[in-house]
Amino acid sequence: MNNAIEVKNLVKRYKEILALDHFSLQVEEGEIFGLLGPNGSGKTTTINCILSLLSFDKGEIKVFGKEMRPDSYDIKKDIGVVMQNVAVFDELTVYENVDYFCGLYIKDKETRKKYVKEAIEFVGLEDYTKFLPKKLSGGLLRRLNIACGIAHKPKLIFFDEPTVAVDPQSRNKILEGIKELNRNGATIVYTSHYMEEVEQLCSKILIMDGGKNVAIGTKEELKKMIKNTETITVEVADVDSINTEEIKELPHVYAIKKDEKKLIINCSGGKHNVVRVIDYFQDRNISIGSVYSEQPTLNDVFLEITGKELRD
Amino acid sequence: MFIHNFKYAMKTMLKNKTTLIWTFLFPMALGTFMYFAFGDIFEKDAVFNAVPVAVVEVNENENLEAVIKELEKEGEEQLLKTTYLSEEEAKKAMDEEKVDGIIYIDAEVKLAVPTNPSSAYNTTILKAILDEYKRQEKMITDIATVNPSAVDDAIKNIQSEKIFYTEKITSNGNQDAYTNYFYAIFAMSCLFASFGSIEKIGKMQANVSALGMRRSLSPNSRFVTIVAEFLSILISQFVMEAIVLLYFTVLGVDFGSKYLQILGILFFGSCIGISIGIIIGSIPKLSENGKQGICIIIGMVLSIMADLVAVGIKYAIECNMPIINRINPAALIVDSFYALNIYDTYDRYIRNMATLGTMTVVLIVISALILRRNKYASV
Repeated sequence: MNNAIEVKNLVKRYKEILALDHFSLQVEEGEIFGLLGPNGSGKTTTINCILSLLSFDKGEIKVFGKEMRPDSYDIKKDIGVVMQNVAVFDELTVYENVDYFCGLYIKDKETRKKYVKEAIEFVGLEDYTKFLPKKLSGGLLRRLNIACGIAHKPKLIFFDEPTVAVDPQSRNKILEGIKELNRNGATIVYTSHYMEEVEQLCSKILIMDGGKNVAIGTKEELKKMIKNTETITVEVADVDSINTEEIKELPHVYAIKKDEKKLIINCSGGKHNVVRVIDYFQDRNISIGSVYSEQPTLNDVFLEITGKELRD
Repeated sequence: MFIHNFKYAMKTMLKNKTTLIWTFLFPMALGTFMYFAFGDIFEKDAVFNAVPVAVVEVNENENLEAVIKELEKEGEEQLLKTTYLSEEEAKKAMDEEKVDGIIYIDAEVKLAVPTNPSSAYNTTILKAILDEYKRQEKMITDIATVNPSAVDDAIKNIQSEKIFYTEKITSNGNQDAYTNYFYAIFAMSCLFASFGSIEKIGKMQANVSALGMRRSLSPNSRFVTIVAEFLSILISQFVMEAIVLLYFTVLGVDFGSKYLQILGILFFGSCIGISIGIIIGSIPKLSENGKQGICIIIGMVLSIMADLVAVGIKYAIECNMPIINRINPAALIVDSFYALNIYDTYDRYIRNMATLGTMTVVLIVISALILRRNKYASV
C-alpha cells in the first residue's frame, strides 16, 4: 500500500512554544487515519503544515510521494479540506458556495454541475440550495462546509474537528458520510478530541500530546498497550464495609477504588471477571445493586500513557 | 478558471450591500452637503443683482449725483437700484429690509447701513462704491490744489477708465473653484476604494480568514484570483463613480463638456485606489483592522499632500520635491482634472493617466508575488 502522507521529524515553533516536537506519521492510501489529542496538542498545526499553509522549522513532508509546497497544484487538486471553522461566502447561496469551490478544481461545466448536485445530496442539503449561509442552523452550516470541501471528489480529505458544536443528528450524518467517502476510495485524515468518534471511524489512530506522537495503532492495538482490559463497577449499599484487599486477591484484578456507593474494579486480562466478582459478593451475602463491565476506551489509553484526561 | 473566479467575485461584490451602499453614500452625501452649503455663494458670484439702495438728497452734490445716475442705469452693468426718499422714509425702508443702505447726497457723501444687514454681501458692495468715489474725489481735489489746469484731463481719464489688460480664455473647461470641490470628492472616493479590496484580499489569505485558508488550498494561481477580484471591484467602483457623476450633474454641478475624459480619470482613479488596497491587504503579518488603519492613514496623507483637505501643501511640494506630486495618486487625480480644464491639449492628462495605470499594474504584480507562495508562521 502506498503512503498518501509521510511526515518525518517535523518541528514547529510558535516563538517559545514548541508546537510539534520531531513529530512523524505515515498515512496509507485508503485509510481513515485518526489524529487524537486534547486541545492544543498540535493536531491542527500538523494538518496546516502538511497542507503547506504553515512554515515549519525542521522536517520533511510528502503527499502522494511528492514534496508539498504552496504551489504544488498537481497535489492540491487531489486534496479536500474540511476545516474547524466554517469557510463559506456569506453572500452566496448554498448551491453557489458549493459550485464556487468545486469550480476551483473542476473546469468542465457538466462534470461540475453533477459533482455539485452529488455533494449537496451527500450532505442532505437538497432542500436548502437557495438559502444563504446565515439562514442555516449550526449543523446545516457544518454540512455545507463539508460539501464545499469534498465536492471535487478528492483522493485525500482532511477533516479537522468537523463535528464541533453540531447536533447529534448532523453529527451522525457527518460520520456516516465520512465512512461513505472512504468506501468510495478517499483517504481520510480525521482529527478530533472526541474519542468516541475516532474509535467509531478510524482504522488507525495516532494519539498525540504536546506536539509529540504518544501512541499509534488500531484501536485494538492501542488498548492492548495498557494494563487495564476491563473495568467492573458494582453498586453496593455499604461501601465502607467491603474488604477491598480480599477482592484484589481475585484472579486478574489489579486495582480497586471506592467511589461513594460504588466499587470500581480494574482487571487485566482474563475472561469471566464479572462472574467472579458477582460470586464474591453472593458468597458473602453482601447485597449489591447493578453491576456493569466496560472495555477500556481511548481515554483510558491516553490516561495511562500520559497521566492526564483526554478532554482536560 | 479566470471566468469562474470573476463570475463569483462579481456576485459576492454585488451582494455585499454594505460596501455598495458606502461606495455610493460617501461621495453623494459629501457632494450634497457641498452643494447646499456652498452652492449659493458660487451662484451669487455668477449672477449679480443690483443692490437696492435709498438716496436721500440733503444738499446738492453734482458729482455724486452724476456717479449715482451712472450706476443706476439699467442694463448688464447696473450696480444700484435706487429709490429717492426722505430721510425718514429711507430709514423705514431700511428697517423693513426693502433697501440694503442709504446714500446721503451732501457736500460730503455719507452711507448708512443696517446694524444687522440681511445681505452683508450687498452692504460691502455699497461701501466699496462710496469708498472708491471718495478716493477719486480726493484725487481731483488734490490735483486742483496743486495743478488746477490738469483737473480736466484727470476727470476725462477717470471717465474713460482705460483697462490695460485683456482677459484671454485659453480653455473651454470649467475653472470654477466650486466644481473643484467635487473633483476633490471624486479623488478621495477613488482612494477609499482601497477598503473594499482589503476585505477581498483578506478572504484570500490563510492567516486572515477561514475562507482564505480554503481558497489557499485550491490549485489556482494567485495572480488569476487577484486579477478577477480586482476587475470585480473595479467594475462596481467605476459604475458607482459614474452614477455619482450623473447625480452631481443632475444636482446642477457644471463639469463642462469633457465627460468622457472625466470618466477616464474616474476609471484610473478607481484602479489605483483598489490596487493600493490590494497591496496593503497583501502584507502578511498584519490584522485586517491594522490594514484598514494603514489605508485610512495613507488615504488621508495622500489627500492632504494633494490639497484635498487644505490648500498650499501641493504647491510647497511642487517647489521642493516635485517628484512626489508625480507619483502621489491623489495629486495625479486632481492634476488630471486641472489639466483637463486648463489645457486644450491632452498631454498632461494622458501622462497622468499613464502613470496611474502603470502604478496599478506594478502594485498588482507585487501583490501577486507576495501572496503567491505564502506560507505563514501562524494561521
